[in-house]
Amino acid sequence: MGTESAVAGGAVTMDAAFWVATVIFLVSYAFIISEKIHKTIVALVGASLVLVFKILEQGEAFHLEALGVDWNVIVLLVSMMLIVILMRPTGVFEYVAIKSARVGKGEPFRIMVVFAVVTAVMSAFLDNVTTVLLIAPVTLLIADALELDPVPFLISEAIASNIGGTATLIGDPPNIMIGSRAQLDFMQFIYNLTPIIIIIMVVFLGLMKLFFGRGLKVRPELKERVLRMNEREAIKDPVMLKKSLAVLAIVIVGFVLHGFLGYQPATVAMFGASLLLLLSGTKEPHHVLGEVEWPTIFFFIGLFILVGGIVKVGLISWLSTKLLTATGGNLLATTMVVGWFSAFASAFVDNIPYVATMIPLIIDMAHQLWPDLQGTALLHHPDLMPIWWSLALGACLGGNGTAIGASANVIVVGMSERAGKRITFLRFMLYGMPIMIITVAVAMLYIWIRYFVLGW
Amino acid sequence: MSGSPGPPREARDIMESAPPFLLATNSVRDAVRTMYAGSTGADTGTEGVPGLVVLTAEGSLAGLVSQHDVLRAIVPSYMTMVDLSEFTWDEMLGEMALKMGVKTVAEVMNADVVSVTEDAPLMECVDLVVLHSLDCVPVLDAAGKVVGVVYVRDLYRAVAEALFPQEA
Repeated sequence: MGTESAVAGGAVTMDAAFWVATVIFLVSYAFIISEKIHKTIVALVGASLVLVFKILEQGEAFHLEALGVDWNVIVLLVSMMLIVILMRPTGVFEYVAIKSARVGKGEPFRIMVVFAVVTAVMSAFLDNVTTVLLIAPVTLLIADALELDPVPFLISEAIASNIGGTATLIGDPPNIMIGSRAQLDFMQFIYNLTPIIIIIMVVFLGLMKLFFGRGLKVRPELKERVLRMNEREAIKDPVMLKKSLAVLAIVIVGFVLHGFLGYQPATVAMFGASLLLLLSGTKEPHHVLGEVEWPTIFFFIGLFILVGGIVKVGLISWLSTKLLTATGGNLLATTMVVGWFSAFASAFVDNIPYVATMIPLIIDMAHQLWPDLQGTALLHHPDLMPIWWSLALGACLGGNGTAIGASANVIVVGMSERAGKRITFLRFMLYGMPIMIITVAVAMLYIWIRYFVLGW
Repeated sequence: MSGSPGPPREARDIMESAPPFLLATNSVRDAVRTMYAGSTGADTGTEGVPGLVVLTAEGSLAGLVSQHDVLRAIVPSYMTMVDLSEFTWDEMLGEMALKMGVKTVAEVMNADVVSVTEDAPLMECVDLVVLHSLDCVPVLDAAGKVVGVVYVRDLYRAVAEALFPQEA
C-alpha cells in the first residue's frame, strides 16, 4: 500500500473501502459543523473508525506524514502554547495592552488603531485566541473608563487578529499546516504573505474609520483615567519576564533561520518551550502542561487521520480531478477559485478541517499536473506556489465573514455578551462580511499581479 | 433528624423568623436596599442583614443573596479574566454599582441552596455554614416553606453562650 500511489492521482476505484472512508468523513464533517457533539470527540471517533475499518493501518496513521498525523504541526502548536502559558503570569501581555491604550492617548479611534495593530502583530506570532483573550478584557476596561461602547473595538480586534495571523507560518493553524506539508519555511511566508497583510491592515483600518470613525467621542476628563494608568504595575515577575523575552527572541530568530539551518519549525518551538520550562524553575510541570489546550491538539490528531482515510481511498484524488476539469487546468482560474472558495467556506465552517482537506487535494492536483516531479520540485513548482498562498489568504481572511468564522470571533462575541453587550450574528456580519470580501479581493488582486502579471 | 432525641437547642430556637425576602425578579438595587433595611427578630440593630432568602413567585425557596454576591456582581466580568486590579479609577466602584444595580437577583444569587428544617441541631447549621461558606441558612417547615433564617451572627451567639453561660 504505497503512499505514492495513494497521493499520485491515479484512477480511483470506488470499492467498499472508498465508500466507508467517504461516509466516515462526511458524517464526521456534518457533526463538526452542526456542533451537536464537541468537534474533538467527533474527530477522535471518526479517526478511530478509520483505523477500526482498516482504511488506514495504524502505522500509516501514526508514522506516515502523507496519510496520518503531522507531528510537526502538533509539536509546533503545543510548544507555542507552552511558551504563552509560561509567559502569561509575568504580566507582559497586560503591560502591552495598557501601554497601547496609553499610546492611543485616550483618543477612541487612535486606541482602536493601536489595539488593532498590536493584536495583529501579536497574532502573527501567537495563537489568535490567546491574543484576543489577552487584549479583549483590557479593551472592555478601557471602554468602561472612557464610557464607550466596546463592541466596535472588540469586532475590530477579532478581525485584526485573523488578518495578523495570516502574515506568518506560525500565525494561524492553516498556515502551520500548509507550511508543514508544502515544506514552505518561515521566511517564504514572510516574503509572500506579510507584504500583502500589511496592505490589507491599512485597508481594514480605513474601513474601520469609515464604519466607526465619527461615532467615537470622549469627554476630556475621562481620557485622564487612561492616561493615569501605569502599565509598569502590570509586571508581576520581572525576572521571569527577562527570561521569557530572551527565549522568545531565540525562538523568533530560530524561525527566521530555520530554513537556512535545516530545522523544522517544530524543532525551534520545542527547543524554546523546553528551555523556558527549564528556566522557569517549575518543580512540577503538571500544571503548566495541564493548561495546554489538549482538545485543540486532539482535534488535529483526529482530523489528520480522518483526512488520511479519504486520501488513501482516492476521494481527494477524485475531487482534485474534478477541480482541474472545472477550471480547465487553467492555473490562474484554479488559484482564484481556491482563494474565493476557501474564503466563503471558512466564513461558515472551521478553517482547520477545511485546510486539512484542501492540502492533500492540492498536492494531488500537482501530481496530476506535473507527474514527473517529486518532493520540493513538485511542492514548490512556480505555478503551484500561488495556489498555496491563495489557500492561506482565503482560509484565514475568510474567517472574518461571520461571528462563527474564526475562533477569535467566537471568543470576542462570548466575552462581549458576558460584559452585557450582545453582538448578534447579523451585527458581526454587517462589518465582517464587507471587510472579508474587500480584503480577499485585495489579496486575490495581489496574487494575480505578483505571480501572474509580474511573475515574481 | 426529627424523632431522635436531639440536642437541647435547634434551628427554630435561634432563627430570625419572618425574615425579609426578595423575589428572583427583583434587582440587585432592591437587594441592597432590603439588606440595609432588614434587621429583624430580637436583633434590632441598624447594620441590616448580611444575606437574604430569594423566593419564587409561588413562595418556595429559589436561592440566597449575600453581601458578597452583591460585591461580586459589581466586579465586571473582564476583571476576572486577567489581573487588572491596578488599573481602576476613583469613580469606578460607583459607576459599576449603578451599571450592575439593574441586574436581577436571579443573575447574582446562589441558586445552589442549602437549607435546614426547624428541628435541625445547631451543629448541623454550623457545619453547613462552614462547608458552603454561607452567611445564612434558610429554615424550612415540614411543607418546605421558609419560616426563618439562621444567620452566622445567631450561630456565633450560640457559641458565645456555650463558652460563657453565666453572661448569657
